[in-house]
Amino acid sequence: MAIIVNLDVVMAKRKISSGDLAEKIGITPANLSILKNQKAKAVRFSTLNDLCRVLDCQPGDILEFRDDPEDQETGD
Amino acid sequence: MESKYNNKIITWSKVATVFFLILMAAADVIGVSSARYLCVTWTGRTDTLALAIFTIVYYAITVMAFILLISVFKLLSNMSRDLVFDRKNTRLMTAIVLALVFTGFFFVLLAFVWGEAAFLALTAWFMALIVLSVKVVFDKAIVMKNDLDLTI
Repeated sequence: MAIIVNLDVVMAKRKISSGDLAEKIGITPANLSILKNQKAKAVRFSTLNDLCRVLDCQPGDILEFRDDPEDQETGD
Repeated sequence: MESKYNNKIITWSKVATVFFLILMAAADVIGVSSARYLCVTWTGRTDTLALAIFTIVYYAITVMAFILLISVFKLLSNMSRDLVFDRKNTRLMTAIVLALVFTGFFFVLLAFVWGEAAFLALTAWFMALIVLSVKVVFDKAIVMKNDLDLTI
């Protein structure tokens, strides 16, 4: 996947644990783990909004685009 | 309300499936004599070839019916456990489709001694087509569900 989730980096900078963050944004720790481990297929704007609000950051701090020549999927 | 209604449908469908399984078992027990009876009354033939083909097709179709009914029962059991969009169900649907397709071929074999069986073959293949269409819909739904499950 060309989109990288840098949530763990932002969390480390803010010194917040997964459990605390999950509780503050109202998602399960399991779902937060899916997001952190690059397993998520999509992120809702509402979740991104909550993440940015709680972590006091911009969407670009959490999400990053890295061009991957092997990943040429367009519709997936 | 709707869920209770659906649960009743599933329960009664399971009861009907068990009833048909018992009928199939009974049909197998009296297979030789009932195949002979059907052969004589439907085709009017009493020669060995017609009787042999009728008996073979009769037993082959009951085997297919067992596969089909057991698959339907498992499918209904999964539904009652809220296991709907799952690969297990599409595999069961594949088994149903294959059982119907083979049933069609056995009816084609039967058509050599009883011409009307060709219509039964067409009916079986048409049913296979319908189940195959539902299976494809389920396959698509499973992909969509997986995507939705991984949307945070």
